[in-house]
Amino acid sequence: MKPIRDFANLFGVDVDLNENLVVKKEDQYFLVTEDLKKAMAKGFFCIGCYLGKVKDGVFSPGFEFLRMLSQKNANCVVVDEKTEWLFICGRDIFKRGIAGTKRSAKRGDYVLVLNKNGETLGYGRVTCVFDEVKKGVAVKNILDLGDFLRREKRL
Amino acid sequence: MPSEPSEARALRKSGSWLPEDSQNKRTLIFQFTSSFYEQSVNLTVMSGKAFFVNRYRELGWQYKNVDLKQAIRINHVNVKKPAELIQRLRDRGLALSKIAFLELGYWVNKAEFSVGSTSEYLLGLYSVQEAAAQIPVTLLTELREKKVLDACAAPGGKTTQLADLMFNTGVITALDVDERRLIALCNQLERCRVKNTIVYGLDARKVAELDASYDMILLDMPCSGNFANDTEWFRRRTIKDVERNAALQREILAAAVKALRNNGEIVYSTCSLEPEENELNIDWAIRKLQLRVEKIDCLGEEGLTDVFGKHLDSSVRTCRRIWPGETQGFFVCKLRKEGPA
Repeated sequence: MKPIRDFANLFGVDVDLNENLVVKKEDQYFLVTEDLKKAMAKGFFCIGCYLGKVKDGVFSPGFEFLRMLSQKNANCVVVDEKTEWLFICGRDIFKRGIAGTKRSAKRGDYVLVLNKNGETLGYGRVTCVFDEVKKGVAVKNILDLGDFLRREKRL
Repeated sequence: MPSEPSEARALRKSGSWLPEDSQNKRTLIFQFTSSFYEQSVNLTVMSGKAFFVNRYRELGWQYKNVDLKQAIRINHVNVKKPAELIQRLRDRGLALSKIAFLELGYWVNKAEFSVGSTSEYLLGLYSVQEAAAQIPVTLLTELREKKVLDACAAPGGKTTQLADLMFNTGVITALDVDERRLIALCNQLERCRVKNTIVYGLDARKVAELDASYDMILLDMPCSGNFANDTEWFRRRTIKDVERNAALQREILAAAVKALRNNGEIVYSTCSLEPEENELNIDWAIRKLQLRVEKIDCLGEEGLTDVFGKHLDSSVRTCRRIWPGETQGFFVCKLRKEGPA
């Protein structure tokens, strides 16, 4: 649970997952329901809601976990429609594409990236002081939804 | 001409199968050679477009070329207002129209980009799924809180549909064998925000190893496919493939029935047009596995009960056969396990 909590803290929030329902398989974490826990047999490939995995000591979140953080008032930026498309194509976010921020978005902060409908597109790290720059990269892309398509290509 | 079967080649090379008696040796060599060439001749005849088209004609369908239309399915658990999603997609330039025989399905009439790469798709608000392939899951009744087995689950289109119609309640056990397909399945589950599924890398024929019983089982069988979604189909398939797949399907069906609770439901489907994988297997299941065919209300014609001179159980008529046209070719039926509940 520690890697999960530490990751949530990067966004300025705590997570209150029921530890009894968090299942670890090798380096991966899953959140399960009571029914799933009862039905679970040894040797499963994946189960329930994928929370993320620890790779080389770094926690890499699943998208549902990012969505959970967005419901907890985590640090985030809201982007316009054009930037939404560029972001899920793997691009960084320019200052002009940011339509708003919630909570903290200081240089070095980790922020969720939301579209105008409040849907979670991924996350990144703020690279500048928003008020001081007029152009250039403002949020460095770390993970975006386009990852689903990249995973398919890797198969 | 097909190549010599690998088992035969291995035996021939080893020579260990030859008896000491040379007279018998000659006889066996003659038998082996005749059998091999007989098989080769048969395979040449029992394959190819003319062979299969002639079979379809005998079954009452005139072959025609089809141009399949793409379809999507709304994941309604993730979409509060489907009409808003449809408008969002239309605003992006997608021309959509409702599929009359599906509650959550839409035809993609025109798209200026890939429907499998929009934000809405990646957010799990809809899935890209062929129209006929959306039918089987809708035939299972009252899915909420149930224990459901999806025995041949990858790449996961129907698994995510099951989870959606179950409102993420109950438990889906999803099986498949190939690791790459399992990874694709888990990616689909994550994209569609599925929370009620356990995936195992397990051959459906070994489902007994899980020591569980299920209320419902979806058997979307591995099959020979059909020409409508594979342009090379007629060139690649022979009747031997069909027979091999039919045998595998019977093995899976027999194993699944053992894991089904009494009075439980099975939905059996293939995208094959060949009766060996469809009506003939269901006829076998009625006789050997004590399964009953249930009436269903969906797209398609009645199942065939006279197949190449063979008369099948009359209840096979309640299966549904979809010849290619509006959708790909498809076969679906619902079976119930007899016995006290």
